[in-house]
Amino acid sequence: MKKVILFLSFLAVAGGVFAQKKTTTSATVAFDASTSIDALPKAENKTVIAAVDTKTGSVAFEANVKNFAFSNPKIQEHFNAASWMNSDAFPTFTFKGKVADLSKVDFAKDGTYSVPVIGDLTVKGVSKEVSTPATIVVKNGTVNATADFTIKLADYGIAGVPIDAGKVAKEPKITVSAEFK
Amino acid sequence: MTKPVKKTKSWRKTALVGGLALVVVFAGIYWYYATEKYGDTKNVKPDYTVKADEFIREFLDNDSAANKKYTDKIVTVTGTVSEIEAADTTLNIKFIDSTTGSYAIFAFQQQHLAETKSVKPGDQVSVKGSCSGGIYSEILEATAISFKRSTLSN
Repeated sequence: MKKVILFLSFLAVAGGVFAQKKTTTSATVAFDASTSIDALPKAENKTVIAAVDTKTGSVAFEANVKNFAFSNPKIQEHFNAASWMNSDAFPTFTFKGKVADLSKVDFAKDGTYSVPVIGDLTVKGVSKEVSTPATIVVKNGTVNATADFTIKLADYGIAGVPIDAGKVAKEPKITVSAEFK
Repeated sequence: MTKPVKKTKSWRKTALVGGLALVVVFAGIYWYYATEKYGDTKNVKPDYTVKADEFIREFLDNDSAANKKYTDKIVTVTGTVSEIEAADTTLNIKFIDSTTGSYAIFAFQQQHLAETKSVKPGDQVSVKGSCSGGIYSEILEATAISFKRSTLSN
């Protein structure tokens, strides 16, 4: 009997622990580095891996750099080249952070919440702190999270003639969207 | 005395026309690359046709060799659909290796969204897309092989 109670207790705790961490393999991250001169430098990745821990508020994203899809083949090639993202050497963009104020969201209650998210964004081997407000919508057990922010390419050591020439934005807009079930 | 003047004028004219022609040619090349768009993946012949479980196994056995072989190639993968996931306004199709949790995931071209809606988990399908290689996910502790510009392969 004791063994049964112990086993059931373990299951309850384990179930609770595993239910906290929600993941998705289809988060979307888009960036827009287009300018008035060039509308081409923008792309979207729809297979981004993301996780949120509803108890601790930790948030993580992993994006395969090569799966950012451009409409133009030349730009696709340049983006991945050694002088730009160098995706052969740095195949993943990552974000590791957390909801900075957990009191602003109740993951167990349906509603729309505005929360601050802070963490380290790593691009091409360089990590920089990023903070952004995010909107979390909780509905019937599904958590939808969205955020928009900008980054400075120079912070990540990304530079080149097209940026200087005004064809690639110095501070591209990043849009993130993730649905956790 | 007039002959040398005529010769100079015609030489200059030739140079000007030639120079203009070069400008037009270079502008044309630039315009072509700047406006070129990826075509429909349905019309692209695959570089490889593989079975989903064997394909994922290649990455698990030797990821650098598999990445070198398949990255930036058009690959048709055949298998049983494990999951369909909503991705913003489109859908992704996944083949999952049940032992390790490693998977291949296909993001579809916008024009093929309708056909993905007809696919269900358990269906036997062939999917074709541009392979972006595999990464090891620390979040999932599994290998994720991603594809872009995908379509069902008939």
